Amino acid sequence: MSMRLPKQNGEWINRSKPVKFTFEGANFEGYEGDTISSALWAGNERILGRSFKYHRPRGVLSLANHDVNVMVTDTVDTNMRGDVVAVKAGMKLTAVNTEGGVRNDRSRYIDKMAKLLPVGFYYKAFHTPKSMFPFWENIIRKAAGLGVVNFEYPRILKRKTHRHCDLLIVGAGPTGLTAAIVAAKNGLEVVIVDENAQAGGSLTYDRAGSPEPLSQLQELMAEVARHSNITLMTGSYAAGYYTDHLVPIVRPDGIVKVRARAVIVASGVFEQPPVFRNNDLPGVMLGSAAQRLIYRYAVKPFNNGVVVTANAHGYRVALDLLQAGCKVSAVIDLRANGESGPLAAEVARKGVAVRKGSCIYEVLPQAGNMGVRGVQVCNYDEERAEADASSIETIECDGVAMCAGWAPAAALLYQAGTAMRYDNEVHQFVPNRLPEGVFAAGKVNGVYKLEDRMHDGARAVAEAMRHLGMDAPAVTVAAHAGAAPSHPYPVVPHPNAKNFVDFDEDLQVKDFINAAKEGFDNIELMKRFTTVGMGPSQGKHSNMNAIRILARIRGVAPEKIGTTTARPFFHPTPIGHLGGRSFHPHRVTAMHSWHKAAGAVLSEGGVWVRPAYYAKPGMSAQDIVQDEAMSVRTSAGMIDASTLGKIEICGPDASHFLERFYTGSYGSQKVGEIRFALLLDEAGVVVDDGVAARIADDKFYVSTNTANAAPVYREMQRWLQKWKLNVWLINVTGAYAAMNLAGPNACKILSKLTSDDISEKAFPASHFMEAKVAGVTARILRVNFVAEQAYEIHVPAPQARAVWEAIMEAGAQEGLRPFGTDAQRLLRLEMGNHLVSHDTDGLTNPFEIGAEWALRMGKPFFVGQRSLKIIAKRSVTKRLVPYMLDEGYSGEMPQECNLVINASGEIKGRVTSIAFSRSVGRVIGFAYVDPADVAPGSRFQIRADSGAMVNATVVKTPFIKSSNEGDQA
Amino acid sequence: MTTAPQQTPVASAQQRLSPKMTVAHGMEIPLEFSSAEIEHKRKVNLGVCDVSCFPRFGVKGRNVVQWLQENKVDIPEPNSWVQQGESLVLRLGNGEFLVEDQFEGKLCAALDEAVMPEAYGVYKIRRNDAALMLSGSHVQELFSEICAIDLRDGALLPGKLVMTQMAGISATVLRQKFNGEDVFRIWCDGTYGSYLWDTLLEIAEESGGGAVGLSCYYKEML
Repeated sequence: MSMRLPKQNGEWINRSKPVKFTFEGANFEGYEGDTISSALWAGNERILGRSFKYHRPRGVLSLANHDVNVMVTDTVDTNMRGDVVAVKAGMKLTAVNTEGGVRNDRSRYIDKMAKLLPVGFYYKAFHTPKSMFPFWENIIRKAAGLGVVNFEYPRILKRKTHRHCDLLIVGAGPTGLTAAIVAAKNGLEVVIVDENAQAGGSLTYDRAGSPEPLSQLQELMAEVARHSNITLMTGSYAAGYYTDHLVPIVRPDGIVKVRARAVIVASGVFEQPPVFRNNDLPGVMLGSAAQRLIYRYAVKPFNNGVVVTANAHGYRVALDLLQAGCKVSAVIDLRANGESGPLAAEVARKGVAVRKGSCIYEVLPQAGNMGVRGVQVCNYDEERAEADASSIETIECDGVAMCAGWAPAAALLYQAGTAMRYDNEVHQFVPNRLPEGVFAAGKVNGVYKLEDRMHDGARAVAEAMRHLGMDAPAVTVAAHAGAAPSHPYPVVPHPNAKNFVDFDEDLQVKDFINAAKEGFDNIELMKRFTTVGMGPSQGKHSNMNAIRILARIRGVAPEKIGTTTARPFFHPTPIGHLGGRSFHPHRVTAMHSWHKAAGAVLSEGGVWVRPAYYAKPGMSAQDIVQDEAMSVRTSAGMIDASTLGKIEICGPDASHFLERFYTGSYGSQKVGEIRFALLLDEAGVVVDDGVAARIADDKFYVSTNTANAAPVYREMQRWLQKWKLNVWLINVTGAYAAMNLAGPNACKILSKLTSDDISEKAFPASHFMEAKVAGVTARILRVNFVAEQAYEIHVPAPQARAVWEAIMEAGAQEGLRPFGTDAQRLLRLEMGNHLVSHDTDGLTNPFEIGAEWALRMGKPFFVGQRSLKIIAKRSVTKRLVPYMLDEGYSGEMPQECNLVINASGEIKGRVTSIAFSRSVGRVIGFAYVDPADVAPGSRFQIRADSGAMVNATVVKTPFIKSSNEGDQA
Repeated sequence: MTTAPQQTPVASAQQRLSPKMTVAHGMEIPLEFSSAEIEHKRKVNLGVCDVSCFPRFGVKGRNVVQWLQENKVDIPEPNSWVQQGESLVLRLGNGEFLVEDQFEGKLCAALDEAVMPEAYGVYKIRRNDAALMLSGSHVQELFSEICAIDLRDGALLPGKLVMTQMAGISATVLRQKFNGEDVFRIWCDGTYGSYLWDTLLEIAEESGGGAVGLSCYYKEML
C-alpha cells in the first residue's frame, strides 16, 4: 500500500519525474526530489536500517539529517544518510550495519543480550586472561564502525573555494530569510545558507493544517529573489566557525570558505525525542519528521497514530496529521495542565481525544520490533517524572509522533566562543554573551513565535549593521510568553528499559544512571564513558536529554551541568571535500628540464623537486649512485645545488647581526672569505648549518640547508625585529641558481670558461670570488662539502641553464657527469661531513656532534649561547662518531636508525648515516655512541633489523683520506 | 662564452605545450601556444600569459624612497603601485620596491645604472620572478579557488596590490589596464613558477581558458 499523499502545496517532489531504485533487493519508485527515506516510506517500507549496537530495526526519526540509523550504501559510496540524500534512478541500495539484510539481520540477537552489555562493558571486560585479548579485540573491531570503506572510490574533484560577503546568515528559515531581506535592503552583500534542499525552514512543514505558512514563505522567497545582493545556498551546511568569521560551507560539489564581516546564526533548533520504552521502533518519529514527510514529500507518516507531546507543537502536528488524512487516536500530553488556546480548541473541535498529565509508558511492538501495533498510556507525574503503571490503557495505532521540545542548533555559536545560559522560560540553552560580530536570532536564540522570530532576524541585522559601523534603528523583540516550548524532563522510566536517549549508540536511561553510580557524573566524563553524543549525529538529539538526566541524578539545574564541546564539522564531511584539488606546491630549479632530459630520477627534498640520480639503462640505482660518486673522486661531477638557501645580509650592522645569529665569528672576517655558519635555536639545539661569504664590508652571502631556506630567513627576520639593527635581508634563494663542480678535474674544467685565476693557490678553499663563467657573472664559493676540490658556482637563475650546459660541454673531455642527491649524500659522508636534520634531530646540541670548534662562547651573545652554557655543565650522554664496518663485511646491512647496543644490552645510540663507499671499499657512516667510546679504534655494536649484532669501529674523518693513509682503524 | 638567451622560470612547465617562442628583453618566452583564434577564445574565458620577460628591478633599504625620488621615480604608498609611463612601480613595504618595465619602459635599466651611494644604505634585489598575466570572465572563479583574499573589483581597488598566498605559495597580485585591457598580474618566486603555471592552467582549462602567448596582447609581435 502506497503511503504517497495527493499533491501537497509546496511539496518538494517532481511528480513528472518518477525514479526507480532498489532497496535490499526490492523494487521501489519515488520521485525526483525525494530522499531515500521518503521514497521508501512512500513505498510503505518501515525498516530502513538497524541500530549500531543492538541491531534494532529503525525507521524515520527526524528526517532532518540526524537519522544515523538509516545509512545506506550504493556499493560505491557508503554511510549515505537516507533522510537527506536524494534518491536517484537506478540506485541499488542496501542498509549498512546488517548481517544478512535489514529484515533478517543475523546480529539482531544482540538486542536480546542487552542486559549483558551495559554501557562501558568493554572497558572492564576482556582484560583477563591476557592471552584472550586478541580474540576479543578482533570481535570488537569488526563490530565497531559503520559501513565499509570503498578503496576503489573514484576520485571526483570537489573544489574548495573562497567567498567574501558583508553578512553570512546560517539558516534560511523565516528568521534567516527576514534577516537577509532586511540586510539586503540596507545595501549589505548577503550570503545565506541552509542545509535543506529548499529554503524556508519550519514554514515548509510546520503548518498546523493551515495554508498560511506556505503563503508567508512564498512572499519571503519572492522578496529574496528581488535582491541581487542576496546569495542563497541550499543543500549546503555551515560546517564550523573559525576565527575572524571564517565559515566553511559544505556543498555537494565542494566547500565554500565564506569570510564574512558579520555572521547571524539563525540555525533553529533540533526537535528532541521524549524518552519512553520502545521510543525507537519504526513508526515512532519526531513530530517535525511527520510534518516533513507530509508537506515536503507528500508521504503519510502512518495511518493511525498518536501524538505524545509536552508543548504546543504537538497540537500543530496533530492538525497536520489530520490534514493529511491520518487518524489521530489521541494526543497524550505530559503536562498536567496540557495546552490551552486556539490550537487545543481546534484539535478538540476535530474530535481528537487529549489526555493531559499522561505519558506513553511503552510502545507495543509488532513481531520482531518491525513496527508499532499500539501504545500503553498511563498517568504521568511530570514533576517527579513518574509513570503510574496502574493506570495503563492501551491504544491501538501504527505510529507515534513525538513533540517534547527542542535543543538549539548552536554548534557554530559554541565554536565562535558564545557563552550560553539555560533559560527557564523556554527550557533551553540560549546565547548569553556573543562574540564580536556574531549574532543569534530565532529559535536558537530562544524566540519561538513566528512573528517574533522574523522580528528577531531584523533585530540581529540592526546589531550587525552597527557592528559594521552603519547606522541602524534599535529593534526590540518581545520576551517569550506562555508555556515553554520544551519540557524540562520528558523522561518516562520503565523497569524493562529500552527507553532510548541516544539513538546513535543505543543508550538507555539506565546507562546514565549506571555511569553516574560509577562516578562518571560530570558531563564530559559521562560522555566518554557512555559515548553519548559520540555517534554520527554528535548528540544532536541526545545531548540535551543526557544533560537533563544527569542534572536530575545530581539534583542540580541543567545550567550547572553545562554542555559538551561542539567541534567542527557540523555533519560528517567526505574526505574528498577536505582534500579539494590537492595543491602540492613545489619548487624546481632552472635546470629542471635538462635534468629530465638527462634521465634524472627525481626526488623531493623539502619543497624542492630535484634529481636523486640519473638513470642508465640496465643499471641499478645503487650502481649508478656509486658510479656518479666515483666520477667525482676520479675526475669531476656536477650537482645542481640551486636548492640551497641563499640569503644576502646587507647593511652596516651585517657582521654584527651574523655574530648574534650564528655561533661563529664574523666581525673579523675579510671580504672574500667564507666561514662556517652554525645556527642554534634558543634551547641550544642545532637547527641549520651553511656558510657565510663576505662579499663586501656591508654584505654577506649566506647559504642554508635546502629544507631550511624559508625557516632560517623567517628566523632572521624575527631576530632582526628584536635587535633593531641596521640590516636588510634579501632572500635570493630563487633568484640565484647554483651548481657544484667537484672532483680533481674541477678546476681544469672551470678554467676553460673563465679568465680569472681559480687555481688552488689563487683561490683556495673557504674563499669567495665574483667572476665571469661562460660570460655570466657568477659568485663562486670554494666549499669542500663533497670533495677537496669543489666550486659552488652561483649565477642568476635565468642564465643558469646556459651556464650549466656550458660547463657540461667544457667537461665532456674529462668525463664530467652530473650527479644527484643520492651520490651527494655518499660523497659528503666520505668527506666526513654530517648533515643537519639527518645526523641530528630536534634535540641535538653542538657538543653531541663534536661541533665545539664552531662555537665562539666568548662572544657577548649568540642565539642559543645561554642554553649552551647550562648544557656545557652537564656531561653528554651520546656523541656522533664516524665509523666503519669490518673489512669484507658481508652480513646483514644495518639501516639508519638501527640502535647502538652495549655489552649489557643497553641502548647507547643509533645509526644516523650508513652507506657502502666504493672509494673507501668499506661500509662507512655516522652513529651516536656512548661518549666513552669515541676514540678512534673504539668498537661498538649495531643491532640490525633482524636482531643480528654488527661490529663497527670508530675512525677519523675524512674517510677517503683515512682510507688512502691506511690508518682508518 | 654562452650567448644563449635567458630562460623564463616557467620554461619547464611550458615545454610540454610546445609553444612558438620568441626572445623579448633577452629572454626566450612563449609567443603562441595555439592559433590566434583558439588563444582569443581562451583569453575571453581565462587566459594565462607568461610575461616573465619584462625587465624588473628590485631595491630595498633605509633610504630607498629618497634614492628613488632622486632618480625621478614616483613613490606609491606602501602596498600600492603606480604606473609611470610604461613602467609599474610597486611598493612592497615601507622600504622595498619592485619596478617593472612593460615593453617600452626604460626605468629598470636607468635604475640599474644609477649610482647607489653607500651612505644611503640602498640595496639592489636580484629577482627571478615568474610574472603572469591573467584575464577573462572566469578569472574570479579561479582566484576563489586559489586565494583566500577578496580580489574582486570592489576589494582590490585601483592602485592597491596584495601580497598573499596563491595555491599555497607567496604571490603579489594587482589589477591593471594593459594595452587597454583589464588584466590581473601575478608575481611569484620563479622556482615556484612551473608549479603555479600548471595549477593555473589546470583550473583555467576547466572553464575554457588556457595558456596564451605574448601575441595575444601584442599583435605587433606576430
